[in-house]
Amino acid sequence: MTTIPMPTKEKFIVPIGPQHPALKEPGHFEFAVDGEIVTDATVRLGYVHRGIEKAAEARNWTQNLYLVERICGICSHIHALTYSLGVEKLAEVEVPRRAQAIRVLVAELERVHSHLLWFGVAAHEAGFDTLFMYSWRDRETIMDILEALTGNRVNYSANVLGGVKFDVSPEQCKVILTGIDFLEERTRHYLNVATSDSMFLQRTRGIGITRLRDAQRLGIVGPTARASGVIRDVRVDAPYAAYDEFPVQMVVETAGDLEARFVVRLKELFESFRLIREILANLPAGDLQVKRFPRKIKAGEVISRVEAPRGEVFYYIRSTGGEQPDRLKVRTPTLCNMASVLSLSIGHHLADVPMLLVGIDPCFSCNDRGVTISGNEGNGRWTWERLRQFGIDYYARKV
Amino acid sequence: MEGVLSITSLLFFPGGLFVVLLGLFYEWIDRKIIARLQNRIGPRWFQPFADTLKLLAKEEVVPTGVNPVLFIGLPLVALAGALTAALYVPMAGIRPSFSFPGDLIVTVYMLSLLTLCTGLAGAHTPDRFSLIGATRGLTQLFAYEAPFLLALLGPAMIAGSWQIHDINQYAQTHLWFMLTQPIGFIVALIGLMGKLELPPFDSPEAETEIVAGALTEYSGRGLAIFHLGKGVELVIGLTLITAFYMGGLGNPIYFLLKTVGVLMVLAGLQSLMTRLRIDQTVGMWWRYGAVLVLAQWLVLYVLQLV
Repeated sequence: MTTIPMPTKEKFIVPIGPQHPALKEPGHFEFAVDGEIVTDATVRLGYVHRGIEKAAEARNWTQNLYLVERICGICSHIHALTYSLGVEKLAEVEVPRRAQAIRVLVAELERVHSHLLWFGVAAHEAGFDTLFMYSWRDRETIMDILEALTGNRVNYSANVLGGVKFDVSPEQCKVILTGIDFLEERTRHYLNVATSDSMFLQRTRGIGITRLRDAQRLGIVGPTARASGVIRDVRVDAPYAAYDEFPVQMVVETAGDLEARFVVRLKELFESFRLIREILANLPAGDLQVKRFPRKIKAGEVISRVEAPRGEVFYYIRSTGGEQPDRLKVRTPTLCNMASVLSLSIGHHLADVPMLLVGIDPCFSCNDRGVTISGNEGNGRWTWERLRQFGIDYYARKV
Repeated sequence: MEGVLSITSLLFFPGGLFVVLLGLFYEWIDRKIIARLQNRIGPRWFQPFADTLKLLAKEEVVPTGVNPVLFIGLPLVALAGALTAALYVPMAGIRPSFSFPGDLIVTVYMLSLLTLCTGLAGAHTPDRFSLIGATRGLTQLFAYEAPFLLALLGPAMIAGSWQIHDINQYAQTHLWFMLTQPIGFIVALIGLMGKLELPPFDSPEAETEIVAGALTEYSGRGLAIFHLGKGVELVIGLTLITAFYMGGLGNPIYFLLKTVGVLMVLAGLQSLMTRLRIDQTVGMWWRYGAVLVLAQWLVLYVLQLV
């Protein structure tokens, strides 16, 4: 019999990931526990880094639309929308109002699908599989609507530079409204469950309380921040596309615990339903696309921000007057929220950790990116040779 | 002749093969009902059998750092304990094969052997998930074991015997204990869920936290045998509760109807609830379960004196 000596460190570390049933995508967390209580937490990201920002520099403006749509599988439309808005601003193209309204319509339908998906995952992490199954069954309604509208269930490909690809016919309108009516009723039921089921509340009420000050200090964004009383929503603060025409009411809660995050996301669904109805009723007349979109875009730089289901998506686009972007920088909301999971989990039970993690609605593949490590010596830019040597040394030290 | 009968009762009926198969069948009922309640289709009737056969045929990977004898032996002990317990209960509504005064206590502790073996199996594997699962499993054992036993002793006290067969006989001729001792019935039912680590008491094997808990390192035969043990425990637990609280078990028809009825209630409860944290589980059992069942005991005792 051979025995493995236990690590001499006194900490008992529970590794979660890169492969773990609690994670739907790879990430690596190490939680030091004392009995059931978490005393320390670290995270390592980057397992699904795909180099999209760099790849974008080798493709032309139109091809990039398809590339950025694949940054995230859940909020694919949002990325294409952010990119299109940025490029259109750079090219100084005025997009028809009807196209903007349809973009908002798809964005809100996507928000509904994303929030319902999150709700099911969160219920599953809490061990309430019945709620998981039910919410995902109802989510099929919205998936069917998106498929009927765009032809795709995941990457809708609704945008083109300077407009949208499809129109909304009266028959599709009817289908959407019927689906929305059904979902509104179901969402009311889920909100009731999330705020009154005593077993479920035992796992959410008072767990993971993030105070307003902490939320601001950690730079939390999206519904997670709004659950802590941060009044911030790009749709309201800096209306883009057609949000100036169809204003949104911000949903803000102040409790800051997991229950508040459930309530914020579910109440946002009602707001989305209202908005979808309003857009369908008052769809502006006009073209779907601009007549001509330039192949080359004149030199300049632009910042584009939108409110994704998880929070603010930020794009920086720079052009040097060519057919391709010179630089495309993406910042997704999960990266902003990740730090809050680590600081929150300390002092909580190990059993609460999956709930805290899912509370920010993490999306790993859109959040992974290469990082410049600024060491003690030299400037921040490394040569390939130096980076390679650093990697070899880093892993040699690890082992 | 005596010897042949004993061997038959050990290997085929009511112990051995019969309980094992019945356990798998009940597991299917449980899975199917939960699936239907969750708006899923659920497995076909032979799925648990197929799962078990597949696991039994698989190679068992013994991880580095464990004692192979313990690793392979523990599932066998667990299954043996559960099968032994089957000999003392009125399986299929017929007279228990073996019976002696006080066999109720032996049976209940034979059933706990499964949890103990699971805990030991988890604790001696150098895997963190196993270790946490084992700790949680054993912590939970201390939470539900006493109230569960006390709940089963309620009918025993009224029947005036700690012999399962006698209590079963008494229950058949009197009003259902479920009506006269409702608290005991509920505690026994929920205690059985705790014993079997069914939701909401599944924190020892909470997949979103600790993968598969104590059995994370088990892959082949060991896992299958633990699984069979759990199925057997389900059948025996249902038998005990129906024999004590639901008017006894006089014949196979009643056995089937009553145990499946209780199983349906269990399945409904499982699909209704969120998983409890281990501290919440322990708190619930000692704050409410134990206190309520003790209160009922006190009432019964006073009534008997009067």
